[in-house]
Amino acid sequence: MTLFALVSGILLSIGALAWEYSQAGLASLSLFLLFFGLAWLFSLWHNWDWFSSLGLFVAVFAAAIGFWFELNSSWMVAGAAFALFAWDMTEFRRRLRVIIVDDQIRGMERRHIARVSLVILAGLFLVTIALLIQLRFTFEWGVLLVIVILLGIAQLVAWFRRQ
Amino acid sequence: MGRSILLSTLVYGLLLAGLVTLRAEFVALAIPFSVYLFYGFWNAPELPDLQIERKFSNDRAAPDTDVTITLSIKNNGGHLEELYLDDEISSQLSVRIGWPRQLFRLPKGSTHTVTYTIAGPRGAYVFDSVSLEGTDSLGLVRRTKTMSVKGRLFVFPEVRHLKSVPIRLRKTRVYAGTIPARSGGAGTEFFGVREYQPGDSPRAINWHVSARHAETLYSNEYQQERVADVGIVLDARERANLFRGTRSIFEHSVSAAAALSDAFISQGNRVGLLVYGSYLSWTLPGYGKVQRERIMRSLAGASIGVSSVFAGLEHLSSRMFPTESQIVLVSSLLHDDLKIVVQLRARGYQVMVISPDPVKFERELLPASAEVDIAARIIRMERDLLIRRLERAGVQVIEWDVSRRFDQAVGPLLRRPHAAISRRTS
Repeated sequence: MTLFALVSGILLSIGALAWEYSQAGLASLSLFLLFFGLAWLFSLWHNWDWFSSLGLFVAVFAAAIGFWFELNSSWMVAGAAFALFAWDMTEFRRRLRVIIVDDQIRGMERRHIARVSLVILAGLFLVTIALLIQLRFTFEWGVLLVIVILLGIAQLVAWFRRQ
Repeated sequence: MGRSILLSTLVYGLLLAGLVTLRAEFVALAIPFSVYLFYGFWNAPELPDLQIERKFSNDRAAPDTDVTITLSIKNNGGHLEELYLDDEISSQLSVRIGWPRQLFRLPKGSTHTVTYTIAGPRGAYVFDSVSLEGTDSLGLVRRTKTMSVKGRLFVFPEVRHLKSVPIRLRKTRVYAGTIPARSGGAGTEFFGVREYQPGDSPRAINWHVSARHAETLYSNEYQQERVADVGIVLDARERANLFRGTRSIFEHSVSAAAALSDAFISQGNRVGLLVYGSYLSWTLPGYGKVQRERIMRSLAGASIGVSSVFAGLEHLSSRMFPTESQIVLVSSLLHDDLKIVVQLRARGYQVMVISPDPVKFERELLPASAEVDIAARIIRMERDLLIRRLERAGVQVIEWDVSRRFDQAVGPLLRRPHAAISRRTS
């Protein structure tokens, strides 16, 4: 079940991004994404779990570039969200590998997939609202973002110092 | 890098990009990731508060015998959506059924049981702790804990039962046993004739001798049979046991020591064990089943050791063993051991050496060639000379070809009187 969800996540993520790029006439970028998707699927076969992090970054970067080129934002957001789903499933699959035979597996898989799907759907819902409202980037928004980013950087620095 | 850090970096990167480019879409793109992070942190588990019990199906086993370990984990704290448990077991043990690492869900107040079956070679295995990792449902926040759940498993050496090991000693203990005590009394073997004393059984009267004397009766006297002190010394020095790097004759020595101690204890003797390796591991002499258990535990944990202090047998002090007792040295013998073993004999000990044949053992590990043949012959001659010197000093030496079972190869030789022993088992 997890593998099916994982493969679906990769296909939907790469598919959404590649489709919109090809629709916009950016065939080379679309081809690159398709090859990258194949590599991601290949990494599953070899259990290269680290590749999913790379996949997530590439998908988010591709979505950001798509926004920059003013492509259809729904496809871009969907691409990034499904990449997040695939990234989560990869980690969950890694954790499940330690269970050999257990009657809890099915239940754990079902609950996890349902939970992650709901979380990502909630995120997508909020993005949709944000995009529908079409917030303008005002000075107040800027100040808020600066504060959030500074807090985040401080947290990251603290984490690295603890390590 | 932790998953939460990776995701946070992504979120802050998008926010920064939004701020720099003044494009709200980048900020919007960060929303699903922020929701994911928020949910993960919101559901972060508490530090696991668990109660763990370990049970063994058997805490003493024979080599390669299945032992089932059951861990009962009770959750006294909050709900744990995913709990990863790793029971740390020795690398020498192999897991036959089940798995000592598991991921499971443990609701508040519930109990989960982890069962797995292991088997392994001889050894004293310590089960010390269990590693636990509780994670939230998204695997973002981890709470790790190591709990001390102690347990011990002894895999005893295989014991080949010997019918009997007759020994003769000048000094025995006061309790009745099987060793002729060289003094008259109750027993089975004829010892001598003495004047009849009130209380003697009429059946003990020797009528032939009494008939020759007009006024006196004479009784037969039998040799008393008593128990004796036996000290078994197991040579665990690396240079006496390791050949061609890693191949060891030590396991054979351990099985010989196990068979001998079992036989001596079964005969009612007081037996002690000294493992002479990187240090001296001494099991004080004792009788009976409890002592057998102590010796087997010591043999289970015996391992080869290397130490400059105990490189020779100089520390095999005579004060360790009761005077004039039986010492059984299980060793492949080194040339510099001669002096010490002869010294023990000179102090009045009865010394028996059970020597697993290292020449034949090593010869079988080497490729066949003329050089190896010549080397083997030279070493064989040197060893024969060493053994002959020991025998001349009154030490009983039995050389054991380890390709044959100990009870089959050495057992018949041990049952014969000392002088009649053919030195080699093959």
